Amino acid sequence: MSDNTDVLQGTLDLLIMRTIALGPLHGWAIAQRIQQISDDLLRVQQGSLYPALHRLEHQGWITAEWGASENNRRARFYALTKAGRTQLEAEVAKWERLSAGVNLVLRRT
Amino acid sequence: MRLLHILRSRLRSIVFRDRRESDLSEELQLHLERETDRLEAGGLPREEARLQARRLFGGVEQLKEACRDARGTATWDALVRDARQALRRLVRDWRFTTAAVSILGIAIGANTAIFSLVNAVLFRDQAFAEPDRLVNIYQNDRAGRPMIVTSYSAYKDMAEYTDVFAGTMAASLPNPSRYLHDGAIRNAAVEFATATYLDVLGLRPSLGRWFDETEERPGAPLAGVLGYQTWTRVFRADRSIVGRIVPVDGVPVTIVGVGPANHRGTVDIGVGTDLWLPITAVPAISQHPATREAPTIFVPLFVKARLREGVTVAQARAAMDVLARRLEAEDPDVSRRAGELALGPGITVTAAADVRIHPQADLLFMALASLVLVIVGLVLVIACSNLATLLLVRGAARAKEMSVRLAMGATRRQLVRHLLTESLLLSLAGGIAGCTLAWWGLQVLQWIDLPFTVDLTLDYRVLAFASALSCATGMAFGLAPALKATKIDLLQTLRDEGLQPIDYRRLTLKNALIVVQVAVSVLLLGGTTMSLQMLKATRAHRVGYAVDGVAVLETDLRFAGYSETVARTVRDNLLRRVQAIPGVESAALLRGLPMEVTGVPIVVDRATGEQGSDVDAAMIEAGPGVFDTLRMPLLYGRAFDAHDRADTPRVAVITDRMARQYFGAVNAVGRRFRLQNELNSWTEVIGVVRDPGTGDFNNDVLDPIAPAFYRSHTQSAALPTTIIARTSGDAATALVAAMQRELRAVDITLPVVTASTMAQKLEKSQAPPKAVATLLGVLGAFGLVLASIGLYAVVALAVARRSREIGIRMALGARSQQVVWSIARGVAGLVGVGTGIGLFLSILAMLAVRASSGSGDIGIGNISVYRPNIDPVALLAIAAVTAVVGVAAAFVPARRAVRMHPLEALRHD
Repeated sequence: MSDNTDVLQGTLDLLIMRTIALGPLHGWAIAQRIQQISDDLLRVQQGSLYPALHRLEHQGWITAEWGASENNRRARFYALTKAGRTQLEAEVAKWERLSAGVNLVLRRT
Repeated sequence: MRLLHILRSRLRSIVFRDRRESDLSEELQLHLERETDRLEAGGLPREEARLQARRLFGGVEQLKEACRDARGTATWDALVRDARQALRRLVRDWRFTTAAVSILGIAIGANTAIFSLVNAVLFRDQAFAEPDRLVNIYQNDRAGRPMIVTSYSAYKDMAEYTDVFAGTMAASLPNPSRYLHDGAIRNAAVEFATATYLDVLGLRPSLGRWFDETEERPGAPLAGVLGYQTWTRVFRADRSIVGRIVPVDGVPVTIVGVGPANHRGTVDIGVGTDLWLPITAVPAISQHPATREAPTIFVPLFVKARLREGVTVAQARAAMDVLARRLEAEDPDVSRRAGELALGPGITVTAAADVRIHPQADLLFMALASLVLVIVGLVLVIACSNLATLLLVRGAARAKEMSVRLAMGATRRQLVRHLLTESLLLSLAGGIAGCTLAWWGLQVLQWIDLPFTVDLTLDYRVLAFASALSCATGMAFGLAPALKATKIDLLQTLRDEGLQPIDYRRLTLKNALIVVQVAVSVLLLGGTTMSLQMLKATRAHRVGYAVDGVAVLETDLRFAGYSETVARTVRDNLLRRVQAIPGVESAALLRGLPMEVTGVPIVVDRATGEQGSDVDAAMIEAGPGVFDTLRMPLLYGRAFDAHDRADTPRVAVITDRMARQYFGAVNAVGRRFRLQNELNSWTEVIGVVRDPGTGDFNNDVLDPIAPAFYRSHTQSAALPTTIIARTSGDAATALVAAMQRELRAVDITLPVVTASTMAQKLEKSQAPPKAVATLLGVLGAFGLVLASIGLYAVVALAVARRSREIGIRMALGARSQQVVWSIARGVAGLVGVGTGIGLFLSILAMLAVRASSGSGDIGIGNISVYRPNIDPVALLAIAAVTAVVGVAAAFVPARRAVRMHPLEALRHD
């Protein structure tokens, strides 16, 4: 593949939820958006994306609804649920603590 | 909230499986298209872009599987797949499936139905408050054993021991009575009880109240309490019943309450008490011959007492010992009181929790119950061993299939899962069949005219037990092929086509199962012959009186409220009118029919001068002409006539059975006996008639033909209630109608208790033993069918597996007869061993029953328990049936194999 960083399993959920927090998106668009926003640093593999979407839906944090895509085809649009929004906040807080901690360790050693 | 969502989402995924799958495909398809668009926009040609997108995407199916996993539906999908496959397989092997399901169904269904019945009759718990403090008190008989009953005077003495007893109550056995409701006469079991009855048991009436002590005083207007079941069934739970008057045996009784819903009577063995009356009502009501002429309260009683707080059973026993010694000192001459009851010294006290009805009676009931349960258990054993055989055989046949599957890469786990699913489906179907059969069986049991009313409900514990056992068998033996298959050498099994012939001489599991099945079936059939003997005794026994052309009309003059003189006139008038009906050859009055009477205790004056022990004989009170009407020939002496009146000595005509049994000679004319309660009034035998050959089947199922005697109704206080009339040939039905018309003409208010032909009466009286025998017969037949299925399946498959061998032998010129015989011989050996063991066990069982029924006297009087004869003809017949089934099971498939074309047989696997 490429030298882009593969997204870690746990963080993928976070990224997906953060991405669709702005508005409903379908699977391909979510992958694209993550890639764009991360300036191509992060690339989401389909092999992880779709199972993750189904898992999140199954857990009740996101819901899916059929809508029309940009090219006017039927597409499943994923949106955050209320529970998902709370979960996202918690996940973001957790991530921030983690990355701050990791940064500190990397800088001070 | 989230949990709910997950559950809903999973459920949706499962239910809308197809839509979910198409959704998933469409979603991934869109992704591919967008990716292609993107790449195309980046400058690639359309076709190139598509391929590139595909490559980047990876395996679509794996991704789908991962998505399914993410939803947690993958396991379910596999399960559905397995179930579908198993179902297809079971449908294809429909013969095996039918056999297995019917085996399971019969095992589960029959067991549950019959155990539910036994449970309803014998083991249902009674709901008393603080049962630990309840004791049963019995007077002892002369042998020192607790009698089933106690006298009223002894009860009064017992009740005075208030230092150990917080309360004491007494209640009689249920007495047959009649009451009038909605213009119809109904039979009722009436229990005479004390006012303390319900308090001692610690129960509350469900409506109204129990009768109180003022109502228990002699001469008080009668107050009664209805049984709960009677109230709901007959009176349709009418709450306004309290305060209403119901005529019982012609006596008005005010209903003051309804008994507890969970209490069906003192003797709770299937018989529910319809009505409780104060113990002082005994002289007024009660049809029991032993009691109806007694001036004082003379009714056998059960006594129960509630211990005072902190008093032990041992202390109560000590107190009663004191009483027993006092009674003995006051009245050392026990034999003088023997006229009352067969009393002996001593009193027995037992904790109520330890006995169901009475220590000795309990043993008898337990013995009966265990007989039924053993038979039912045998059916279960047969069924399980049968199922095991079927599954083992099928497993062996599938060894090749298993090898193929393993060779194609199936894992052991998958094989096990698959077979487990198959067994599960099979068990499920069997369970459903079992439940249906159990339910249906109970309907049938309820429909059969049992001698008592039983509150039948399906016993779910037994249903669960039988289902679990059958299903466990199914699982265990269903799995065997999978476990075996995964161990076998693939190449070996694929190459040789399972060609090992079954060796009948070797002790293999399959051979042992066949032997066990045959043996148990034979044992079961052996048990059935015992019941068939019972049936034969009831059905084929000579009926020694006229049945054809005889009509029976029973009324109850007490309900008309006549004075005794008027009643006699009405009765004589009715008889004259019946005699005047055209076509009537003879008519007579009587009380009690030969097939309906129960014994009363009598004392026989023996030739040696000593008074005989207490024995029972059936009493029929009849008018002149009874022997003529019934065509019962007089063997010795004379019949009673108009000269035998109330003021002449009491006389009786006895049956030759009674003469032989109690007087030791057929010609007993001139000898005498007395009813136990007619203390100093002897009855002289003036004649002997041929035994009618039938007794009361309802009450003496165990020994239906009792000694009987006939007395003139003019020498008895009770009025005859029945008119029998004989006409020629088949005009009995018309005669019944004519007699009813005459009854209405005499007095329109007289109730009809019975109006039927003698043939109908006889038929009805034989129904209960027939039902019992039929039940056992059906069980035996089930056993035989089950064993046959198993035997056939095993042998047929073994033969089928030898098809190739048979083909070779045929091709080499063996004669078909030889081949068939060589196969049949092997099977015959197994069947022979099984039959031998079964016959041996049957004889052992019969000897055991004979030995145990030797001590039939349980103090209730003379219940002689039925003694089965070892019937060699029946045993031979059983052996023959088993042999025929076994050989047929070997023959049919063997012949098929022989007729097969050798080439086809060689290819056969």
